[in-house]
Amino acid sequence: MELGPENRLLSEKLGEELWRAAGAELVDVSRAEFAEALDTIGARDNYGLDPEKHTNERQREMFWRALHLEELALARGCALGRESAWRRFLAQYREPLTRAAIDMTGSAALGEELVSAIYSELFGLTEREGRRWSPLLRYSGRGSLMGWLRAVLAQRRVDQYRKIGRETELGEIEPAAAVSEQIELEKLGDLRVALKMTLSEASAEERFLLSAYYLDQHTLHEMSRVLRVHEATISRKLKRATERLRKQLLGTLKGRGLSRRAAEEALGTDPRDVDINLRKLLQKSAGDPIPDKERQG
Amino acid sequence: MNRNLQLGIHPDADKISVFVEGAATAREQEKMLAHLAECAECRKAVFLIQPHEEPQRVTATPEKGWMWRWLMPVGLPAAALACGLIAVLIYIRPHGVSKTPQQMASLRPPETARPGPTAALSSNLVQGAPTANADRAPSINSEQVTGSGGRQDGLAAKAATNGSRQERPMASGLNLLTSKSEQATANVAPQKTGAAPSIVGGPVTDAARLSGGISTVTVSELPLNGRDFTELQQLQPADTKGAASQNALAGKKELPALQIQAASAQNKTLAGISGRITDRTGAVIAGGTVTLRDATGKKRQSTTGTDGSFHLMQLQAGQYELTATASGFKTSQQSIELKPSELAMLQPVLDVGAASEVVEAEAVSSAVAVQTESANVSGQAVAEMTGAHRAITLPSGVGIAETVSHGKRFLSLDDAGNLFLSRNGGKKWKKVKPQWAGKVIRIELASGSVSEAAAQKPKDETSGAAGEGAVFLLTTDGGTVWSSKDGAHWHQQ
Repeated sequence: MELGPENRLLSEKLGEELWRAAGAELVDVSRAEFAEALDTIGARDNYGLDPEKHTNERQREMFWRALHLEELALARGCALGRESAWRRFLAQYREPLTRAAIDMTGSAALGEELVSAIYSELFGLTEREGRRWSPLLRYSGRGSLMGWLRAVLAQRRVDQYRKIGRETELGEIEPAAAVSEQIELEKLGDLRVALKMTLSEASAEERFLLSAYYLDQHTLHEMSRVLRVHEATISRKLKRATERLRKQLLGTLKGRGLSRRAAEEALGTDPRDVDINLRKLLQKSAGDPIPDKERQG
Repeated sequence: MNRNLQLGIHPDADKISVFVEGAATAREQEKMLAHLAECAECRKAVFLIQPHEEPQRVTATPEKGWMWRWLMPVGLPAAALACGLIAVLIYIRPHGVSKTPQQMASLRPPETARPGPTAALSSNLVQGAPTANADRAPSINSEQVTGSGGRQDGLAAKAATNGSRQERPMASGLNLLTSKSEQATANVAPQKTGAAPSIVGGPVTDAARLSGGISTVTVSELPLNGRDFTELQQLQPADTKGAASQNALAGKKELPALQIQAASAQNKTLAGISGRITDRTGAVIAGGTVTLRDATGKKRQSTTGTDGSFHLMQLQAGQYELTATASGFKTSQQSIELKPSELAMLQPVLDVGAASEVVEAEAVSSAVAVQTESANVSGQAVAEMTGAHRAITLPSGVGIAETVSHGKRFLSLDDAGNLFLSRNGGKKWKKVKPQWAGKVIRIELASGSVSEAAAQKPKDETSGAAGEGAVFLLTTDGGTVWSSKDGAHWHQQ
């Protein structure tokens, strides 16, 4: 999305100041190009506020000043194909990017391959509407450029997984449950409905924790790094969510006519089985998205 | 939006990186979590983005001298021997407790709830029966033992023998007692005679520990012998410790061998912050300073260790402002909202550079829309912030009340009203000789007039004195205001 000159909200004075602060001149990005980038990003994210909110000059200025301006200028320079920008980009990010790719793939060869695919994409070999297009144009400067590059790498890695996974990696996917147990669970069709109802009432964070823990089997430590809290906090939240889920499931099942004993049996009478059963249930319902929740746009 | 991932709409790399780096607004975070809960591919991407944790930096250790090498073969066996001796001492100690004067405790259920065997034993003791019934759980009332004086020596010795032999049954007996009676009380009384050796404290302690019924003890029921109850609580051995260590502690501190459950549960609501300061490459920064300021302006400071980590614990829930500084790096500032009993993990990333950068970011999601702000500030403001958040130790050793700075020139006021000046960014401090009467109550940095600047031109312009337009000001308790261009030479205004 590009804004016409009539929609520009960045004042000339502030634009000049930010342009200088970003060192955009060093990467051959002109004042007008940088100002356009800032305006576009601001309008796209509504200056960090909720979409329906109106912004004032002070809020807009705060948003722009909060951006990683130097990295934004560099990304713009690269996206516009400026040689000085690319020289700087390679000097600064080549090694960390390769290292990150090797970390993600677990292999030097695969890592190198992933990085070279990214470079050609970043360089703008694709065209959109007759114009050269680089994904670097999507970098907003709200996070670090390295973080953005890692995200791109991770997405491409997941793409690779998915493409290969269709043919070869089925063995890695653990079946939702053994055949006999599957039949048993299918007998209790209510359980799936109950789980869906219960999950739709849980908060987004709880659903994320449950999915990451039970479906993806991430460790508490890994989850704590994503949410930037201590793993003890994650453990507490997860335990609370699991207990509430179990309690609500029991309630829902009983509400649907099952006796308490039958409901408990459906979930697993041994408390040690609860985790396993929840995992199976979550796996079963994973392919069936929750209709009540709005999907991320 | 990303077109490469599987069918459907997914957040693009920018949104994901903003979320992962904690720069997302509350609404964005909520939306992202909702998406991640349902999208396995994006979840995978988010977890893949997390950088691998770098191993701690290995610091070169100085080569050990000849003496160390010579002592090494001797030192290790000696250390092992010492450990063995300590272990033996710990093992022996509980058995030796009976030889030292020991306070005794009794668990005395109400009469109605007292089962027969214990009651019988208790009465046997009171009446000075020659032997205690070893087959039954003995329960000894300390008051009665104390009161019976010298006659009880033999009795106590016998009871002790029985008690030590019957430790487990007694423990279980007491356990039974306390579990049956909800009103079990515990009395602690010192043994005044000192002559009667007693081993009863040990088993009783063990029983008390095992019974779990001690929580019903009330403070008023405990003869504290002049000791402070709060002190007593602090010295209680942990619940998980064995009877041996408990006895050892009791013997050492002359404490009643009873466990009193800590009544304070306030710590459960306290929060904490833990984290690690790194630079852009992920390398840890040792010796950095982390300052936490609450809404009232109260500060807490911590210095990062060799692994770059810092810990600030026992914090009340609420809004805080965290500033991370390190020499040679830009300052990073974050505002954090701590929830009760939450331990927040932060990883401030500092950019290399001399100038200060202030970044405010909402770390915890909240209902209110959050704005992020950062500003490259320069001049006076930078100096003030840098000064305020630097780890400073003044020669007076007194706490710092206020600090202002310009460039490398720092001016600090301690709590005693003394003024200190540093010309090298806080590394070395010199006390400013007071030219004013009274005590300094406030210092500040203000933009000064040209005449002032000219009048107070420092001797060495290159030494980092406040440049044109910046003047140090101080206010005394007498209300007089003094100004200085360099922080050393002052003139009354």
